[in-house]
Amino acid sequence: MDLSDHRIVEEPYYRAVGNEVALFEAAYAARMPVMLKGPTGCGKTRFIEHLAWKLGRPLVTVACHEDMTASDLVGRFLLDADGTVWHDGPLTLAVRHGAICYLDEIVEARQDTTVVIHPLTDARRVLPLEKRNELVRAHPDFHLVVSYNPGYQSVLKDLKESTKQRFAAIEFGYPAPAVEAGIVAHEAGVADDVARLLVRIAGSSRNLKGQGLQEGVSTRMLIHAGRLVALGVPVAEACETALVLPITDDADVRDAFSAAIAASIG
Amino acid sequence: MTGSQEDAGDLSFSAVERRLKAYLVALWGLRVPVRPAAPDAVDGVPRRVSFGDGLVWMPETFRGVAGQRAADLFRASLAHVGAHLRHSGPRFPAGSLKPLQIALVSLVEDARVERLAMRGHPGLFRVWAPFHLARPGGAATAPALMARLARALFDPAYEDDDAWVDKGRRLFAERSARWEDPSISREIGNLLGNDLGQMRVQFNARTHVVEPAYRDDNAGLWDFGGDPPQGLEAETVYEAFRTEHEEVEDGAPQADPGPTPPEAPPPSAPAAPPQAEEILAPPVRYPEWDYLIGRERPDWVRVEERSAYEGSAASIDRTLDRHRAVADRLTALVRSARVSRPAWLRRQPEGDRLDLDACIEAALDRRRGESPGTRVYATLARRHRDLSVLLLLDVSASTSDLVRGTTRTILTVEREATALFAHVLEELGDPFAVHAFRSNGREEVRYYRIKDFRRPYGPAAKARLAGLEAGLSTRLGTALRHAGRSLARQPTHRRLLLVVTDGEPSDVDVADRRYLAEDARRAVLGLSHLGIDCFGIGLDPQGRTYLARMFGQRNFMVIDRVERLPEKLPALYLRLTH
Repeated sequence: MDLSDHRIVEEPYYRAVGNEVALFEAAYAARMPVMLKGPTGCGKTRFIEHLAWKLGRPLVTVACHEDMTASDLVGRFLLDADGTVWHDGPLTLAVRHGAICYLDEIVEARQDTTVVIHPLTDARRVLPLEKRNELVRAHPDFHLVVSYNPGYQSVLKDLKESTKQRFAAIEFGYPAPAVEAGIVAHEAGVADDVARLLVRIAGSSRNLKGQGLQEGVSTRMLIHAGRLVALGVPVAEACETALVLPITDDADVRDAFSAAIAASIG
Repeated sequence: MTGSQEDAGDLSFSAVERRLKAYLVALWGLRVPVRPAAPDAVDGVPRRVSFGDGLVWMPETFRGVAGQRAADLFRASLAHVGAHLRHSGPRFPAGSLKPLQIALVSLVEDARVERLAMRGHPGLFRVWAPFHLARPGGAATAPALMARLARALFDPAYEDDDAWVDKGRRLFAERSARWEDPSISREIGNLLGNDLGQMRVQFNARTHVVEPAYRDDNAGLWDFGGDPPQGLEAETVYEAFRTEHEEVEDGAPQADPGPTPPEAPPPSAPAAPPQAEEILAPPVRYPEWDYLIGRERPDWVRVEERSAYEGSAASIDRTLDRHRAVADRLTALVRSARVSRPAWLRRQPEGDRLDLDACIEAALDRRRGESPGTRVYATLARRHRDLSVLLLLDVSASTSDLVRGTTRTILTVEREATALFAHVLEELGDPFAVHAFRSNGREEVRYYRIKDFRRPYGPAAKARLAGLEAGLSTRLGTALRHAGRSLARQPTHRRLLLVVTDGEPSDVDVADRRYLAEDARRAVLGLSHLGIDCFGIGLDPQGRTYLARMFGQRNFMVIDRVERLPEKLPALYLRLTH
C-alpha cells in the first residue's frame, strides 16, 4: 500500500515567523520526535502540512480524542467472509510506509493510549502489535509529530512525564502584527489595511485573555473575519460574527470587546 | 451639565464597572483598580473622574445624567483616563504656575493624549465627540473659551471664529510631529495663558470645572510639591486617606501599591465569633517555611481542630432553591461528565476487540448457512473517575466584607458556592470533603471539618456549613499542610485540593507580607510531592501576583465578580477534572 492519498501535492501557504522551519528540518534529519506547542489557531497544523510538502513525505493526521483507544492508533482485527483480517491503524500505516504521523491535540487522548508511541520514540523505533504478535520496524523515513496546547487548565489532562520527555518542542505563538497582517491578507484575500485593522482588533482580545476570555482571538478566527469582509460584509459585522460571538458568552466581556472593536474602526 | 436635579433613573458605575474595566484591558491592556469617588463636600460642583498613583476614582453617578447617556459618559471617562495612562508622561512640576496656566496646560495635554489614542483607535472619536457641546459665539468667558478650545483641538471639523481658539488650534497643529512629547502641552498652554491674561478674561480657579464632562480633574497630571493649591488636589488627598482607612478596616492588607513598613505593629486581632468552640482532636504541630533563613522552622505552628457552630441546614437547601437554574445546569453538566465503572460491553457493532463468544456464534451461523450476526465486538466503557477533592475555605475576618454592589458578605457567597459545589459532587459521586480555617497567631490555627470524606453530606454537614462565621486571620500554608494530611489518606489515583481565599495570607504575629505567601508556596510544593494537586481560587481581583507565586502560573484563577462564585466554582471543578 502506498500512501499517495496522504501526499500533499500543492504547496500549503505557510509564513515562517522565526527559525521554526530550520529547527524542524534538523529534527527531521535526526528523526527526533517533535512536539508543536501553542494556542489554538496559530498555525501548528498548517506548519506540519507545509513541512510534509517540503520534505516530500506523506502526512498521516490523527485528531486525538478522549475515547480514542490504542487500537484506533495501531489497528484492529476486522471480520470478513473468511474470518478475521488485520487492518492497520493510521500510526501503523505511517510506521510501515515512512510517513510523518501527526497526532493533533495529543493531550485529548487518554494517557494510557499515548504510551503506545513510546517504543517508536526512542532508539528502538519499533511498534509492537501485540494482538498480531508482530514487531513492526519503523521505515527509515517515519517521523512522529504531536501538537499540544499548554493552555488547558486541567489537572487530569496533561502528558505523562515519560511521554513529554521524548520530544523536542517547537513553540508557536501569534506572529508579530506585521507578519500576522500579511498572513490574514493572503489567506482571506483582503487589502492590507483591512488585515492590519483585524490584527489590531485581535490585540484587544488578546489583552482580555485571563480577564474573561480563556484565549484571545486566533489567527484562524481573523482569517474567518477577513473572508467575510472579502465577501462584502462590513468590518464591524464581520468581527461580531466571526470573533465576538464565537469567543465568549459573557455579556460584559462581549460588550467590552465589541466596544474595543468599534474604537479600532475609523 | 449644571447639575440641576437627581434623576431617578441614575445609572451607577458599579452596574457597568466590569464591562468598562474589560474595555480598558481590551484597548490597551491596562489593568487599573477603579475606586468609587466619594460624594464631594463642596455642593453644586459637578464631579469628574480622577486618577493618580496607579488608581482611578470614578464618581458612582454623574449628576443629571442617566440611562444610556450615563453609560456612555462612564465609558468616555474611562477611555480618557486610559489615554492619559497610556500617553501622559511623569507628572508636570507645578512650580509657580498660575491656576489658569495649569488649567490650560492640562487642557492641551488632554487633547494631546486623545489625539494619540485616536491614532491607534480612530473609533474613540465617536466615544468622546458626543460630549463636546461647545459652540462658537456667546460670551467670551474663560470657561466658554476653554470649552471651545477643547473642542477645536479635539475635532478637526469644528469651526470657530475666535482668534484665541484659532491660535490654540494652530499652535497645536504646528506641533503635530511632536505630539508624542508631553512638553508641547506646557509650551502651548503657557502661550495661550499669557494671551488670555492679556485679554483680561476672568478665570476663577475655585469654580473651574473641566469640560467636557468625561475629562478628568487633572489632579493626576501635576506634581504640586509640598504646597498643593486648593481645588485641584484636595480631593486626591482626601481619597488617599480614605483608601488607607479602608485597608486598616479590612484587617488583611490589600494588594495596593506602596510597601508596608517592616516595623509596622501588627493590627489588633479581629474579634472571633462569639460561639464557644470545642477542641475536637489533639492539636497537631507543623513546620513553617521561613524564606529569610531558607529553612523550615520545626513544629512552629499548632493546629486545633474545632467544632463548627451549627446553623440552620434548611438555609442551605434554600440556597440551592434560589440557585435552582444554576444547579439544574450543573446537574446536566454532571450527567455528561459522570461515568460508570469500567466494564466490557459485549456484542457491539463496533469496538476495539472481538467478542470471542459472538465470533464463534457468527462462525456457527455461517456454517449452518444462516446469515451471521455482525455484533461481534467488545468495547470498554469509560473509566471510573478515580478522584477525590477537598475544598478548603478561608473564613478569616476579611470574608465578612460586603461584596461590592451587593448586600451580601464574601462569606455568604462562599457558603452558597460551597452548597452548589457539594450538590454537584453528590451527583457526581466523587469522594469530597469541605474544610475551613482561620488563624490567630502561630499557636492557634483553627480548622473546621464541615464535611469529611466518607461522611454523608446530610443535615449535620449542612448545619455546620450554614453556621460558618468570619473572623481572625489567614495562615494559609499551615491549613494547606493539614488539609493535605487528610487528602493524602484518600486511596484514589488523583487528589485535588481546591482553596478558596479572598486575600493574601496574613496573621497577627507576622509583619512581613511575603513570609506567609512563601510558606504557602512551600506547602503547595510539598503537597505536589505527595501527589496532591492544589488549585487556588482567588476572590481578590488584585491577587494575581501572589496567587501565581503560591500556586504556580497555571494553577489558580481569579473570580473578578465574587457574586458569580457559586456558579463558577462547580463549573471550574468539572472543567479541571473532565
